[in-house]
This record gives sequence, structure tokens and C-alpha cells, in this order.
Amino acid sequence: MAAPNDSDRPRLAAGCRWGGSAEARVLLVPEGAIRVQGPGEKILQLCDGSRTFAEVLAELEQAFSQGDPAKIRADAARFLEQLHDKRVVDY
Amino acid sequence: MSTLSNPLALIAEITHRCPLHCVYCSNPLEMIAAKSELATADWTRVFSQAASMGVLHVHLTGGEPLARNDLTELIKSAHRAGLYINLITSGIGLSRERLQALVDAGLDHIQLSFQDSAEEPANQIAGTKAHAHKIELAEWIREHRIAFTTNLVIHRQNMNHLAEMIAFLETLGPNRMEIASAQYYGWALKNRSSLMPTREQVENAIEVVADAEKKLKGKIRIDFVVPDYYARYPKACMGGWGQKSILIDPAGRALPCHAAGVIPGLAFDNVREHALDWVWRESAAFKKFRGESWMPEPCRSCDRRAEDFGGCRCQAFLLTGDAAATDPACSLAPQHFVIEAALRSTTPEVPAAAGATLNWEYRPNPK
Repeated sequence: MAAPNDSDRPRLAAGCRWGGSAEARVLLVPEGAIRVQGPGEKILQLCDGSRTFAEVLAELEQAFSQGDPAKIRADAARFLEQLHDKRVVDY
Repeated sequence: MSTLSNPLALIAEITHRCPLHCVYCSNPLEMIAAKSELATADWTRVFSQAASMGVLHVHLTGGEPLARNDLTELIKSAHRAGLYINLITSGIGLSRERLQALVDAGLDHIQLSFQDSAEEPANQIAGTKAHAHKIELAEWIREHRIAFTTNLVIHRQNMNHLAEMIAFLETLGPNRMEIASAQYYGWALKNRSSLMPTREQVENAIEVVADAEKKLKGKIRIDFVVPDYYARYPKACMGGWGQKSILIDPAGRALPCHAAGVIPGLAFDNVREHALDWVWRESAAFKKFRGESWMPEPCRSCDRRAEDFGGCRCQAFLLTGDAAATDPACSLAPQHFVIEAALRSTTPEVPAAAGATLNWEYRPNPK
């Protein structure tokens, strides 16, 4: 499976949702929990199924305005692809 | 000793009643009768105590959880407590309407067991007719936005057509496949000589699963449990005794794992009398093999002791008579010869010839 295309609308897969306590939010998935912090958490919050991957990238570029857009794209794509292979993200 | 962290998973064995009679059932040989089961209010209290301790997941299992008429109520209360709810089921007794009610109540994930890809051998393992219903149920499950796992137990009798079984399960459209080698406790240990695969079968299965993982990547995630009898090192059973999980049996006894009841001399505290947090911290059964102070050599000085915790205490007891021995599945264990002997003494024919009657002992139903 490949990285998301610009027109894909990534979102958490069925049966994957946020949980844990306010201080320690985790992504709850079948048989496990994934601690997602920093940029990863920001990316997943934007992946609500309504934004396209291009729109997610645009918002990330604003949020991390010091970052290199090409690197933001590469990092976000790789992050989502990994979670897609674990069946945590759909697109 | 380091500070004790909270459990992450609550295994709620809500009943031992089950319409199936699987020859490798993980339930204890001594099963709990319906009249001794915890009431709805007991479970509600346990779920809320678990969530406030930091438990994230509840695994509703059995027996067959659907055998409890209050399952929807139990899911509602676990959901209210904030737990992620896994239902581990054969699907027998689950109508389309009841599934809808469970999903509405807050079910997050359903794990549906399969015995085989073909009707006849599946029913032979389960000791009842169940296969056709499961196929229909898989379709209904896919109509909901919940996670769907198929669970398949593999063993000597079905491993030769693993590729075919995976192809069959793929058509059911799960997000995840669990392919688990039978684990030899309770009923499976009684039936071990007919269930234990050969080394050749195991090596072949590893290849078949690797191919399937490649093919299904991004579509279906596969979790594969290899048989520990053939491994070099033991499994990290339960992520360590009393480290990650707490199991409550149908009568309310708190155990570190499914099989711990076989170990003589352990006293299990009951959630009818104690808060879950107290049990986790204070129960003697949980303290018994927590940490490393109980470890014998070669575990005590082994580099892997923080990885596999000396293996499984129940297996150590069942196969050596000493729960504090190194798990004999470990190639470094002084009593590893019992595993080697077990592998030599299995049924010669692989699998049993068609139509042959296997000398199974089916798991009965509790009264």
C-alpha cells in the first residue's frame, strides 16, 4: 500500500479512537494502545475524514511554519502509511 | 523493586457457558456454574474501578459472552466507564438485531473465532454446527464501523491447508486476522497429541503467513502466534506475571492469567470482597511471580529475563510440576527434555486420515 494521495481523506480506521486520561491521551486500537505525541498527534487530529491529505498538509505547514514543506509532506506521508499498514488509519 | 504500574487490560471472563466444545478451549478443566456467576452490578463496579486505575481495554470473553443475557448492559457500563471494548466470541447466538444493540451500547471491536475454512472440519473441532452462521455474521459485522478481527486457531489437523483458510478468511473482509497456534493448557493439553503440529508443518505455516502478510499489507493486518514448543525461547507470557493484565473469572476471582488456577497453593482474591486496585497491589497470587526475585537459574542471570520473564508459570507447573521452574519451552531450561519428549510422542499421522475418529476430549458445558 502506498502513501496517501493529495485527494485522499485520511481518518482513523473503524475501531480506532482516542482514549486514556486527559494527561495521557492514547490512541486505542484493537489489542493495544499507541502513544502519539507532538506532530503525530497534530496530524491525526487533522485526519477526520473531511480534510483531504493536501488540506492536512496545508494546515501542518501553518502550524509548523519554520519547517520545510517538502519534509513535512514526506514525514506526514510516511507516518500515515505506517499507521495505514497497521490498520489504524484509512484512506 | 521498581514501582508497580497499573494494569492496561482487564480480561473479563464473564461466563464459562458456551455452545461450542472446542478441543483446545482455554477455560480451566473445572468450570464455573451459571449460578455462581457475578451479577451485572458486580461487573459494572469492576469496570468502573478498572477505568479509574488506568485500565484501557476490557476483553469480554468466556465461555461464550453472548450466553449472558445482560451482555448489552455490560457493554454499556464498560463504555460509560471509558473502556475500549473487545468482544471475543464464536458468534453463536448473535442475531443481526442483537449485534446492532451491542454496537449501539459502545462495542469497539469484535473478534470472531473460526475453526476452519470448511464446514465439516470446523464443526468437528467445535463439536457442534457453527460454521455457516459465522459466515453470515461476518457480513453483518462489516455493516458497522467497529473493528473486525477473525481468529483462527491452528494445529496439526488444519495446518496443512492454512493458505486455503487464510484465503477464506480474507473473503470475510476483516481488518485484522489473528492466527494463533493452539496453546497447551486445560483442554488443549488433554488433546495435545492430536493437536501438536510437526516441525515441518510449523516451518511451512511461517512461510504461508509471511506470504499472506505481504499480499494483504495495507488491507488486513495479521498477528501470528507461533507455537512455543518449537521456539528457542519461551513466550513473554501475559507481558509478565501481574504486570499488564488482570483476569476476573465468572465467579469474581482475580487471576494473573487464564490458566493460573492450575497452580497449587495460590489463593485468588475475589472482586466481591475487594476493590480491583487492592487486588492488583496486594493479592498474594499476583505478588507470587511478579518481578524477578522468584526466578531460578538460568533465568536469574539470563540476559533475556526482562524480555520473556522466564516464560509461562502455568506451563512450567503443568509440564514440570514446579511453577517456579524455568518454562521448559526455553531451550536453556534444565527440563527442556519434557518438550522434546512431547514432540516425539504425538500422533504419527499428519493430519489424521479423512473420516478417522480422533480420540478427542471435547470441552463440556458447566452446569
